[in-house]
Amino acid sequence: MNIVVCIKQVPDVDDIKWTKENNLDRSLMLSKINPYDNWAIDYAMKIKSQFKDVKITAISMGPAQSKEVLQLALAKGADRAILLSDKAFSGSDTLITAKILSAAILKYVPDFNLILTGNIAQDGDTAQVPVSMAQLLSIPDVTNVVEIFNADKKMAIVAQKLDDEINMYEVLTPCLIAVKKECDVKIQPKIDDYIKAQNTLIELYGAIDLGVEKDKVGIIGSPTIVHKAYRPEINKNTQEIKENFSRTIIDLILKAK
Amino acid sequence: MKKITVYCELNLKNYTMLPVSYELISKAVELSRQAFELKKEQYSVEAVALGSNLDEDSLKKALNAGANRVVLVKNKTLSAFSQTIFAQSFIEYYLKNKSEVILFPATPYGRILAPRITTILNTGLVADCTGLDFILKNDELKLAPTRPTFGSELMATILSKKFPQCATVRPNTFVANFGLNADGQYCEFEPCEYSETRVKLLRTMLEKNTTDVNFDNAKVVLAAGFGLSEGKDKKYYLRLEELAKKINAKLACTRKVADFDLLPREFQIGQTGSNVVADVYIAFGISGAIQHVSGMKNSKTIIAINTDENADIFKYSDYKITADAKKIIDEMLEILS
Repeated sequence: MNIVVCIKQVPDVDDIKWTKENNLDRSLMLSKINPYDNWAIDYAMKIKSQFKDVKITAISMGPAQSKEVLQLALAKGADRAILLSDKAFSGSDTLITAKILSAAILKYVPDFNLILTGNIAQDGDTAQVPVSMAQLLSIPDVTNVVEIFNADKKMAIVAQKLDDEINMYEVLTPCLIAVKKECDVKIQPKIDDYIKAQNTLIELYGAIDLGVEKDKVGIIGSPTIVHKAYRPEINKNTQEIKENFSRTIIDLILKAK
Repeated sequence: MKKITVYCELNLKNYTMLPVSYELISKAVELSRQAFELKKEQYSVEAVALGSNLDEDSLKKALNAGANRVVLVKNKTLSAFSQTIFAQSFIEYYLKNKSEVILFPATPYGRILAPRITTILNTGLVADCTGLDFILKNDELKLAPTRPTFGSELMATILSKKFPQCATVRPNTFVANFGLNADGQYCEFEPCEYSETRVKLLRTMLEKNTTDVNFDNAKVVLAAGFGLSEGKDKKYYLRLEELAKKINAKLACTRKVADFDLLPREFQIGQTGSNVVADVYIAFGISGAIQHVSGMKNSKTIIAINTDENADIFKYSDYKITADAKKIIDEMLEILS
């Protein structure tokens, strides 16, 4: 059984640094694996522990630095790691990112049974790429998954959570599952695992390898473009309450009712 | 005439439109006015719902909100949700009734469906917009959706190079207006009966153990921040819950509080939680991370209590109280007992 896990390195949104001109200062920001994608690796490892002959391929698109998250995936137990890195890819929006990832999967893991992804990336926060990939690959998908009960070569049984509704689905492979809750099995790699992971070469592919035209990807090829970015302004006329805090709050509540 | 399409999600049990539909129709009406002001272009507003039936009252509301045409894409395969069937049925209708703009609700189902539809149309999609305007660019009218990104630290206005220009909007982002002349039309469209054999819904359950958390029409919201924490002790979260019950208010919390399991995730307000537009929003020990603020800042009156007089939350507040929120919870409980 062949599992592909798509992972992304994201800036730590709790640690955002700004330049004087109010732009994001990425050089000062810490990067980490998108937590949802980290859970996806755990789910893949759990399936691997249940069946013989499960092979996990981790794929990430991003700058060279993104190999850090692939090293993590290898240390956790992935068998193969693919980095999709090319200047031409930079600035790709969700549709183009989904196209690049799908093209890579079709070319380098054509016999996949299951694609696992995080439901959402913490930086962009769109949840669009997994759905888009499933459509491009013409495979069924279940997103917002909180539990995978069974996943084998033929089908997967999963629980999807939408608000307070839980839907149990049986989905035939090949399929895509996007997870939004951590797995009950959490793999914590040790230093030895990282050292061992170094034996596996991270495969590196760019636009030419994938056979995608450079003007169909990245900022140029993306259907959406950032027109402007700015920090939200706040203009509130804040009054300070200096005494009788609790009384004043209760009065304000009563006034509104 | 040019057109804005609004995807109206139906509650498939009673065929009513989700309230966000009217919010989006009202916004679309505003956009069509903007288009006329900016470039004397006429845009009509079309509300499209998919299902096996449509509630009459919902139809009236959609027309009162200003839809020029309400369309029910209708057949029996649309009586239960399937993303592939819904996407294909919508596409079949849409390709015969193209438009310049499609607005989708960023509900759980909307967020699944919208990217599927835009991928089929090979166009872009801007998720979770908090602002929608038309702008003139190179003398062309462009939809300019604005959305929070990077945990809401940054607002980005994103244009689409392709048509249709598509965006999703979360519930309670815009306000519905029903004061318009309901002279729009209603019609039905019957698509092919598509099928999906690869995905089978085994069963649907409503989650147990969760309290009914629904922030629609919330009057008073008491929101708990990490400032109420005492290690793993949930004491002040429980006390705030007690206070909320006493004054018939809704309990809410920040992401960090949910991350540390001090309150269930369902109570989380903000970018990855719910949005709320409360009459009174009271922040107890909340620092004011923008990803939280983005979910509550449209509340009418915001009161914040924090020991740090420079806490960011005060920037968004109408009333500032520099004090220990725990003490205030104790005091309020005492006054109300």
